[in-house]
Amino acid sequence: MPAAVSSHPKLDSGVTKFTNCLLVKNNSLVQEDLWINTHTGKIIKGQEVFYGQRVAPNRIIDLGGRILSPGLIDVQLNGAYSFDFSVIPQDGVVGYAKGVRKINKDLVRTGVTSYLPTITSQKPEVYQKALPFLGPSGSSRDPSFGSESLGAHVEGPFISPSKNGIHNASVLRTAPNGLSDLESCYGAQNLTTPSPIKLITLAPELPGALNCIEELTTMGVTVSIGHSEASYEEASAATIAGAKMITHLFNAMRPLHHRNPGIFGLLGTPPSISGPPKPFFGIISDGIHLHPTSIKIAWNAHPDGLILVTDAMRLAGMPDGTYDWTNGSRIVKKGPLLTLEENGKIAGSSISLIECVSNFLNWTGASVPEALKAVTETPARMVGLEGVKGCLREGADADLVVLDLKEGKEGLKSFVVEQVWKFGGKVFEKGNANGRDEGEVGK
Amino acid sequence: MRLIIKDDPDTASKFIADYIIDRIIVFDPTPEKPFVLGLPTGSSPVLIYKNLVQRHKAGDISFRNVVTFNMDEYVGIAREHPESYHSFMYKHFFSHVDVNPANINILNGNAPDLEEECLAYEEKIKKAGGIELFLGGIGPDGHIAFNEPGSSLKSRTRVKTLAYDTIIANSRFFGNDFSQVPKMALTVGVQTVLDAREVVIIITGAHKALALQKCVEGGVNHMWTLSSLQLHPHPMIVVDEDATLELQVKTVKYFKSIEKVANELGFQQMLPRKRDSVVEPSGPIPTLQANAANLEVPQPQISRSSSPILEAMGARISENEPQILNALDTADDVPLIRMGARVAAS
Repeated sequence: MPAAVSSHPKLDSGVTKFTNCLLVKNNSLVQEDLWINTHTGKIIKGQEVFYGQRVAPNRIIDLGGRILSPGLIDVQLNGAYSFDFSVIPQDGVVGYAKGVRKINKDLVRTGVTSYLPTITSQKPEVYQKALPFLGPSGSSRDPSFGSESLGAHVEGPFISPSKNGIHNASVLRTAPNGLSDLESCYGAQNLTTPSPIKLITLAPELPGALNCIEELTTMGVTVSIGHSEASYEEASAATIAGAKMITHLFNAMRPLHHRNPGIFGLLGTPPSISGPPKPFFGIISDGIHLHPTSIKIAWNAHPDGLILVTDAMRLAGMPDGTYDWTNGSRIVKKGPLLTLEENGKIAGSSISLIECVSNFLNWTGASVPEALKAVTETPARMVGLEGVKGCLREGADADLVVLDLKEGKEGLKSFVVEQVWKFGGKVFEKGNANGRDEGEVGK
Repeated sequence: MRLIIKDDPDTASKFIADYIIDRIIVFDPTPEKPFVLGLPTGSSPVLIYKNLVQRHKAGDISFRNVVTFNMDEYVGIAREHPESYHSFMYKHFFSHVDVNPANINILNGNAPDLEEECLAYEEKIKKAGGIELFLGGIGPDGHIAFNEPGSSLKSRTRVKTLAYDTIIANSRFFGNDFSQVPKMALTVGVQTVLDAREVVIIITGAHKALALQKCVEGGVNHMWTLSSLQLHPHPMIVVDEDATLELQVKTVKYFKSIEKVANELGFQQMLPRKRDSVVEPSGPIPTLQANAANLEVPQPQISRSSSPILEAMGARISENEPQILNALDTADDVPLIRMGARVAAS
């Protein structure tokens, strides 16, 4: 009897076992089986089920020695597949909702099983229309919906006019009156508990910003420091107020100066019991935004805080050319490089998250589990979903990616996404046109 | 008794794994007539499990119709504790093969009534038709399962207090914290093991040489509980060279010569035709003969194995080998070969 695949359809316990695979666990790759329950969409403890419920796996999936990782999490994704989270299309919110549903299905095929849809600095009406569609979307636990929003990331508009990057300076704001100013921008209905917003990037040196950080933190919205002129002292004050993250470290902030280390200086904070912990930080490892050495320095300074993000926007996967962007600006796409037409500033990326992981692996000498941690466990911890997302512990959601690690010329390694599982259902298989096993997705 | 001496633990383990697989194949288990296998934990059997898993993955053997009974389990540690025997079995064997979890029996060291648990275990074994083959290892003091020195040789499944030595030895698995080490265990008794139709024991390593010597060359003695195996009709001990260090040269040569002759003649010690299995229909021989064709062993499976060639039950009652049959009818144990024959052969 072949050991690889055995199926007993008469008794569908929903228990599926992945075998002959390398699990990403605790900074190492371990040769172990992983059990999931396709009914609950969760990872289960094989031994407990085996002895406790006397249930053998309904299906055994032999992964041929490949890597089985938690599904990837992107906490900064502006858009992709010609859809932009910051743009309400011609047909209004109906078209917007449709666009979000489509991007979820496309995105999951790249291995990104959950993410924070990100809106750049926009006029208030954009937030108020868009945010209701960007809140956490996983409550139905339906694999066929594709990737899952963990809540929106609003990047601006409470950011520094001098570190605006490609954000249109005319829409930027300050919040001298604290939360009420945020409400008038994002909409009071979007700043309730629970809020569709998970993460807000703001500049802490702006008037009223520190108050906002405190209030948002109490509400359960995470605050990230970014697009900011903050000095080291101002940045420290922000972390004391509750900021937990730095948005795309190095980009859109003051560079490290030996007499004023700026925001980057937070990574050098000695660990103390009383003070706030070192913040998490986003890194765009697309080879354009950052020099590999800078990435390595940041990683060495605070390995547990590094989160790889794509900062990808809707031109990802589109041909070269000049494209209309928001607020009357235009973006020039030349290969992977995106720049704003009027001033040549870098305008987001068009890279996929798994490519970022491959780059990170090659540039820093990180191990495979260390590199994958930066897109799984660490971002999950940042958004407060430790043990639910980004890990292979029992009880966590069965969001999984099967990866092959190829080694090319000059020893350059690259990950290939071979299978993607969401809530215990297979939603993508490489080489399979529609990416689905018949009868596996949708309950 | 058969004493098989192999060069090292690897070959000894492989021999046993192959032997068990051949036994199961010959038995040809079905859901109605499962193969009932007794299983040990510990360091010596790890390699055996590894071999069994390998051959299962190679498609040589299915454990779907195998019922297992484990020897023992600690009292008072969680089933999921990494040192529990549940965890051991899951990690080394059960999670890698197709054994049906419903067919697995391990004593529950957390049962509300431990005594009742032990009695029920004996009942379960009886209900399953008795154990066909009990695989075991031994401790350096010659204990089998948790039947430590001084255990009654008539003992049945019961609660057992662990010997001081064992608790100390085990503390290394519990962070060297003496207080964390279980002090009691549930274990099958010596008699439970002896009731199996066949007992196969693995003993490897110099540290077990004295135990082997006591159990094979010494008399039956409750201070070396494995020595009770001398009273069993079909015991087989498989050892490595290191484990023979305390044996007399004569003993080693004797057992080696027996195996040599047996191998040369392509003839191995066999189980008697008549057995007391309750699941096996004990019909008259002519009925079985009618079915003999169905019970024939598939030849390729036999020739693939490096272990001694086993015969199917059916083969033994076929008319092709009347001489062997006669021998079996008269002998209860080793098919008799005259001393002279062995001398001539060597």
